[in-house]
Amino acid sequence: MKTITVAIAGNPNSGKSTLINAIAGTNLQVGNWPGVTVEKKTATLKIDDLIINLVDLPGTYSLSPYTQEEVIARDFLVREKPDLIIDVVDSTNLERNLYLTVQLLELGIPIILALNIYDEAKKKGYEFDIEKLQELLGIRVIPTVATKKEGIKEILNAIKDFAYGFYNITPKKINYGEDIESSIKAIEENLKVTNPLLLSKYPSRWLALKLIEGDELVMKEVDLIGDETFLQEAKSHLFKSHDEDIESMLADIRYGIANGVTRDVLKKKDGKRVDFTEKIDRIVLNRYLGIPIFLFAMWFVFKFAFDFSAPFSDWIDTTISGPVTKWTFHALTVVGSPQWVISLLTEGVIAGVGAVLVFIPVIAVMMFIITLLEGSGYMARVAFVMDRLMHSIGLHGKSFIPMLLGFGCNVPSIYATRVLETERDRKLTALLVPLMSCGARLPVYVIFIGAFFSDHAPTVLWSLYVLGIFMAIALGFILKKTLYKGFAPVFIMELPPYRVPVFRDLMIHTWQKLKHFVIKAGTYIFAVSVIMWFLLNTPYGVEKENSALGRIGKTISPVFEPLGFGTWEASSSLVAGLIAKEVVVSTMAQIYVKEEVEEEKEGVDKEKGFIDDLKDAFLSFGFAIRDAIENLISGFGIKSLSANEEEEQRPLKSKLQGIFTPLTAYAFLAFVLLYWPCVVVGIAMKQEFGSWKLYGQALVIHSLLAWFVAFAIYQGGRILGF
Amino acid sequence: MIPLALIGGGEKAEIIDFIKQGRGILSRLRDMGFFAGKIVEVISNEGCGLMLLKVDDTRVAIGRGMAMKIMVRRLQ
Repeated sequence: MKTITVAIAGNPNSGKSTLINAIAGTNLQVGNWPGVTVEKKTATLKIDDLIINLVDLPGTYSLSPYTQEEVIARDFLVREKPDLIIDVVDSTNLERNLYLTVQLLELGIPIILALNIYDEAKKKGYEFDIEKLQELLGIRVIPTVATKKEGIKEILNAIKDFAYGFYNITPKKINYGEDIESSIKAIEENLKVTNPLLLSKYPSRWLALKLIEGDELVMKEVDLIGDETFLQEAKSHLFKSHDEDIESMLADIRYGIANGVTRDVLKKKDGKRVDFTEKIDRIVLNRYLGIPIFLFAMWFVFKFAFDFSAPFSDWIDTTISGPVTKWTFHALTVVGSPQWVISLLTEGVIAGVGAVLVFIPVIAVMMFIITLLEGSGYMARVAFVMDRLMHSIGLHGKSFIPMLLGFGCNVPSIYATRVLETERDRKLTALLVPLMSCGARLPVYVIFIGAFFSDHAPTVLWSLYVLGIFMAIALGFILKKTLYKGFAPVFIMELPPYRVPVFRDLMIHTWQKLKHFVIKAGTYIFAVSVIMWFLLNTPYGVEKENSALGRIGKTISPVFEPLGFGTWEASSSLVAGLIAKEVVVSTMAQIYVKEEVEEEKEGVDKEKGFIDDLKDAFLSFGFAIRDAIENLISGFGIKSLSANEEEEQRPLKSKLQGIFTPLTAYAFLAFVLLYWPCVVVGIAMKQEFGSWKLYGQALVIHSLLAWFVAFAIYQGGRILGF
Repeated sequence: MIPLALIGGGEKAEIIDFIKQGRGILSRLRDMGFFAGKIVEVISNEGCGLMLLKVDDTRVAIGRGMAMKIMVRRLQ
């Protein structure tokens, strides 16, 4: 058995991730690089008796230490010393990509160059002298078309040949010119004598080059303080002959080499030069058309995501609250479990976990669309178009995407912050997202609006959505000036050519993301559901008012007194809303309208047998598919916004009318809109940002915001005489 | 020598120099292919907001503030 570690490097937009998917397929594991939120993909392949550990490095333009991605890539290459690098290069843009290749060569690690997107280059009339490219750089070169899986077998064979020593790859030491070379030599020789340990830790030529460049990170790491004199000596002649800084001088040399090599190996004949990208961009980025086109695209995404997934969500919902609960109940009764176990499992665990499973279709569809938009190249255009507007709240255009998705459900929006580059942007956006009124808040609105504002229903509903947006702008403004200071970093971004993404890739990405969510959310929600059940049911069998939750509600209710709804019932429901905002309604129903409803339900479908229920579940899944497709084709109204829970809630409505006034009802709605984001959002934040800190911030900030807004509404309303 | 931000859409320019700014920003520009001697094509420049450029065969959007700090020579 032989094991070989292969790192995959390359520029962004070189088709790297498609290539990895093509090589690794379903073996791909997605995680994060330790301590950071940069995605890390790995895979272990077994070919005959060779084990290949693939590690995907973040896409970078260079190995200078100015972005997180670059530091990760170079740390891995320098410290873990992979046996081989696969350098993925966009053949249509060879010179630019070779700049990174030249830097990879400095590490002295053998390289297989994947000349990717080879078909497009051919179409453009490019002809490559592959032999010569191999010879000039001392690498192995293999043309690939990752989207069509061309060249993948060759790459695997090349890895095998290399691993068994059939094909030796010795990276060329490229001559950087007399001045630099003499400095490299001087440093290497000095270190050989004074610090041999250091030389064994790093690739020596690379280390020397970094010391010449004065690379801050390396200087700090190798800790040569006190020994700078020899460095200065070795570099002194460089300062004399070049007045510009040495770093840019080296960059110039590297670009020079990339340019020279490209000229030697690439012949550009006249090919078909239809530049679709340019044509599409002329429309999509147009000053007047840009925003309308974008809004239309977003509307489509929104509609597609929710209309298409809604029937599946409904199906999961009815299956879990219906047959699954019912048969668990029966099974537990048959084996003679005590009453409280049955209640814990059905009302606590199944109901709680079920509430999260309902999110799965939405998240899946959303992740799919986001990957699609990204893979096609349109996402970069969105940032371009929306940039000016978003600048006013201290963010880039790209932040607009997660915020808009937030109207459907905040959870996928948190994941969608992934499209943003910097940690600050991502966190700031994630903090604003929960102010977008998500679908789960709708049941709360619907019941209160039905009870108090039925004459002005659309206006009141609309006002809540607008209030959310308004608050997001205000909060963005405040956070920009306080917690998340700093400028939106300098805007420089490549607009990749439009490409049709590979369906297989989209599915792999969607699946990876989903798997992650189900496992993580499943465990947390399980725990939270159990806790909530205990809160509502300890001591067991007492009135809700005296349960732990009821008491918590009672204790904190004075806080809500100035807002007009300081009852223990309201406060308990708000606490329960932590699980998901629609739980506010179901808790209220449980508290106000005791058990009647439940008993009714059981009576109705007890006659149906297990097989019947199973059949029903399958049948209704079929209906869900039909509905999803129907929703897609027909109906221009957004389905997910039409609420359909009218009939059941009549008793609750009349109860509410006795307790709330229109003014307190509106203050309560504003509070529900703005207060702490649900725990599923918290899990998403934890997953994306690595700690609970951001969710902690969100809990505090949003609760304060909600309190003040509700306070202003209630007290202001009272003064105005409502 | 004028700032890149003043070059109109459809025109080409050669980069001459950069006005001093943060080290990180300069090398970011350099890594994306902007360095002295490089020829840049301005695809669109609408007088405000982002500029769309073409370097090599790559389209790059950059902020106006940055474009003011890249000094170029207009090419006919």
